[in-house]
Amino acid sequence: MTAPVAAAVPWAGSCPGPRQEAARIVDAACVRRWLGEVAARLEAERDFLTQLDAAIGDADHGINMHRGFTAVMARIAAAQHPAPGQLLKLAGRTFISTVGGAAGPLYGTAFLQAGEALGEHERFGPRLLLDALRASLEGVQRVGAASVGDKTMVDALTPALAAYHLELRMGGSLETAVSGAREAAAEGSRATIPLQARKGRASYLGPRSVGHQDPGATSTALMFAALEQAVLADRSRRFAAGAKRPVSGP
Amino acid sequence: MIQSVGRAARILKALGSESARLGVTELAERLGLAKATVYGLLRTLEAHQLVEQDLETGKYRLGPALLQLGNAFLDNNELRARSLLWAETLAGRAGEAVHVGVLYGPNVLLVHHVFRPDNSLQILQVGASIPWHACALGKATVAYLEPAARDELLAGTLPRLTGRTLTTRSALEVELERVVGGGVAVEDQEAIVGEAGLAAALFDNGGAVVGAIGLAGPVERLLPEGPAKEAVAAVKEAARGLSRELGAGRLAAPGAGA
Repeated sequence: MTAPVAAAVPWAGSCPGPRQEAARIVDAACVRRWLGEVAARLEAERDFLTQLDAAIGDADHGINMHRGFTAVMARIAAAQHPAPGQLLKLAGRTFISTVGGAAGPLYGTAFLQAGEALGEHERFGPRLLLDALRASLEGVQRVGAASVGDKTMVDALTPALAAYHLELRMGGSLETAVSGAREAAAEGSRATIPLQARKGRASYLGPRSVGHQDPGATSTALMFAALEQAVLADRSRRFAAGAKRPVSGP
Repeated sequence: MIQSVGRAARILKALGSESARLGVTELAERLGLAKATVYGLLRTLEAHQLVEQDLETGKYRLGPALLQLGNAFLDNNELRARSLLWAETLAGRAGEAVHVGVLYGPNVLLVHHVFRPDNSLQILQVGASIPWHACALGKATVAYLEPAARDELLAGTLPRLTGRTLTTRSALEVELERVVGGGVAVEDQEAIVGEAGLAAALFDNGGAVVGAIGLAGPVERLLPEGPAKEAVAAVKEAARGLSRELGAGRLAAPGAGA
């Protein structure tokens, strides 16, 4: 899915800095669409997530995530035109205050950190999104102290971030980068099945946690699928509106 | 060491670590043994109902005799037997889950677990093993150990389970002093993000610490703004009552003067 011309461009191997991004194509509307898509998917997958959690956790992940995102959607609907970063910070604060268990502090921190990284920008491009994803992962690891292989959401977030980064380094666009991230997150969540949990309540089960997919990694993969859908919908919308400028970054 | 007993133990552990069943070939590969050897061991274990064979697939899984052995292990634990009533009372009073644990090496083994009395779906955590320094039960117990035993644990590995786990000797020494001072150990998301614990030590008739009893639950309920006062009082009272039943003198119990 990577554009083959990437190898021919002189800056292949590095990304443009966030300030030099030519195409700042993600706006608050796209972020709202993303969060809305996450909420819809959580509603549809609520029972599946809870079922995964029942095997190795407290059987509340789907319910918690759904409740949290319902609250997030209510809060951001009431917020008047804030910038994307402020929207994400609002989502993070709402999550922390409404969701119990590990999901509240972990996802809440992820959204807060992403919002912080986006700053006050009204629009942003793929490079700033990379910074936001990186800040999310750092925040999650600070709170949860989990590494790849511990059977947590980090097992989906880390490969998603790596795939996203790789796409940009190879000259890919925002669209190919979020597609790569979606695929890597889904793969990462499936790869938790044979793992023995080393963090969280599932780790109490020791070897019995083997053979079950981690609910946190699964909900993280769901968020990347929603991100891809929001970004692609955004592109079709802009084409439909007759946008002339290229949507791929830089 | 008897080699065949060791091999049989490894087979049981391999079967216990998979939710899927394993066939003779898979087991032989995993353990690096000849198929004939594994087959012979499995047949012997099966005769004792320690493993059983799935008739449709021919694969092996753990057998019913293990459940009886596991229950016998728990029943032989005197602390568990004595704690049933106090744990139930504490759960009802505090409206939270109750854990009773004993120290096994550097970990706390949960020997009893009463569900939070709210009809929600919960997972039985009896048998779980939690690093002592990351949980209230462990800190409550270790705070009252003999200095030599305590030092050994403080000098051991102290793995990080969350961003809040105390992983240095100095921080844990301060923490253990605080436990002795207040008669209760507090766990603030040190083992699991979002989860808190409050626990007090249990003593036998010689005044030696034998384990701990405590509450486990969401941090926002157990530690709303610092430890919830009523929950702390309930935990201490349960620990005192249970220790008295175990034969400890009143003065030896934690927070007895409070």
